[in-house]
Amino acid sequence: MTWAAFTSEWTKLKRRTLLLSTFLGLAVAASAFVVLLFANAHAHGDGGGLPTLQQLARPNGLVVGVTRATMLLGIVAFGIAAAQTASEYSLGTLRQLLVRQPRRIVLLAGKMLAVITFILLAFLFAAVVAFLVAIVMAHARHTSTSAWFTGTGLGDMFRALGDIALAVAGYSILGLAIGQLLRSAVFSVIAGLAWIIAIENIIGRIVPSTTKWLPGAALETVASGGTEGPTFSHGLAVGAVYLVVALVAALGIFARADVTA
Amino acid sequence: MTVTQAMRGTGDRSGAQLAVSTSGLTKRFGDRTVVDRVDLAIPAGSVCGFVGPNGAGKTTTIRMLLGLIRPTAGGGSILGGSLTAPATYLRKVGALIEAPAFYPQLSGRDNLNALGRLGQLNLKAIEPVLGRVGLSDRAGDKYRSYSLGMKQRLGIAAALLPDPELLILDEPTNGLDPAGIVEMRGLIRSFADDGMTVLVSSHLIAEIEQVCDYVVMIRAGRLVHQGTVADLSATQQSDVLVAPEHDEDRERLAKILASAGCAVSAGPGEATIRVESSGLSAADLNRLAAGNGITLRRLAEQTRSLERAFFALTGTDDAGLRPGQEMGAIK
Repeated sequence: MTWAAFTSEWTKLKRRTLLLSTFLGLAVAASAFVVLLFANAHAHGDGGGLPTLQQLARPNGLVVGVTRATMLLGIVAFGIAAAQTASEYSLGTLRQLLVRQPRRIVLLAGKMLAVITFILLAFLFAAVVAFLVAIVMAHARHTSTSAWFTGTGLGDMFRALGDIALAVAGYSILGLAIGQLLRSAVFSVIAGLAWIIAIENIIGRIVPSTTKWLPGAALETVASGGTEGPTFSHGLAVGAVYLVVALVAALGIFARADVTA
Repeated sequence: MTVTQAMRGTGDRSGAQLAVSTSGLTKRFGDRTVVDRVDLAIPAGSVCGFVGPNGAGKTTTIRMLLGLIRPTAGGGSILGGSLTAPATYLRKVGALIEAPAFYPQLSGRDNLNALGRLGQLNLKAIEPVLGRVGLSDRAGDKYRSYSLGMKQRLGIAAALLPDPELLILDEPTNGLDPAGIVEMRGLIRSFADDGMTVLVSSHLIAEIEQVCDYVVMIRAGRLVHQGTVADLSATQQSDVLVAPEHDEDRERLAKILASAGCAVSAGPGEATIRVESSGLSAADLNRLAAGNGITLRRLAEQTRSLERAFFALTGTDDAGLRPGQEMGAIK
């Protein structure tokens, strides 16, 4: 039954405009990060927050650009996911869906799985395009790529892809839950953007010790495979708590709410 | 043969198998009671008109039947399944709830595809139902390019997709032009011919009375009446329309009729008087007029429409119902 809800959702997701805009949009955004990183990288010394060409030539150099683009990827994932659930209310289509699938948890689970796989596929496509762009840019900046394709380099790449995919899935789940709770695509996206971009930053500046306990920061930690501050496992645990709470709230409310839209 | 078809075949509704039955169905939103202890008993195989003014509680009742809204109290069964377990009966139910709602960027066909997949329905039924509602030629076009009538027809197609035993149509004539309304009536008739039980709600009673053989009347959340249209008609006295040969006799004729105990009101057209359920026959009225030196140029008995029956049953003249829609036959 979840499979039926999954394939039904994919009928909507695979429409050309959404498919192209998401896949190409993410690919362009991730590639832009890669281009900017290589274009502004110094050969040696202090990069001023940016990696140097020497650092980019290391085994993990291939994924640096994509890792730096995680927040952007997360915001896009959040927005798409929130819009997919909230628009069912604004379009009034939810009542049609619930007549055909009255088991609400099944409906929401199928929708979530479909949206998450859609976003992860878009992310993988963006990553592949960004890797190709990275190779082109490395050659343009006369930077060696040989370390990227060693066993260590490929291991780093797959590990980083897994970490980022995990974070992107987390952003997607948060988006689905917020869209379900707010029932408005516009409000959900605005709320998500405001939280990730502004509110967490403000809280972090006022009370720095809280940063590692905030959801956006936790997902960033997961995406970067752990930081000098919070570890990967800490980010994973904090992120998981937020996701579980958001999911339980969204499912609990959705399962019992009267559908008057 | 489905239960519905069997019922239609025999035409027997006594002790009937009910497609929809509820007991004390109630919905309150805060302090406001929207549906108040409604006991429905809709026979399988009937075309049931669910009528009442705007805000009467029709849509809320329908949403409760479809599991979209949780009743505050009461219960019931649909096609033998409990109202508390919609999954047990919704596979056999098709519904168009209020305005049709689909994904604007998808074609009509893809919209049905999404619903068909979700309900694990036979996707091969998509083309036939599109053909049935006359949308085959435009099925590949995006939904947002559809006219209101086409959107409504796609809504009907979606409702037909599960090959339902019970078809629930909530205000299916909303926004349709007169030709569209006639077309919708034809479709509803054809569904009944196929053996479906059809529950069709409308605040425009006159628009659906021609296709219904059973009627449920609701007002302010309360059940006013339910039964066959034939039984309702039998309980309703006919009105008589009279018009004097000379227009200047109209007021005098009205006074004569009133003094004879008749309730009179302005009828349709100039100089016509409606004599409502006076107990006097047309012949009595003719004799009364002639006895006072007035020759009648019109004397016609008029069957009460469902709309007027609704007013008579509720003792109201509701602004929520369209006035002047007398559709009853002039005998």
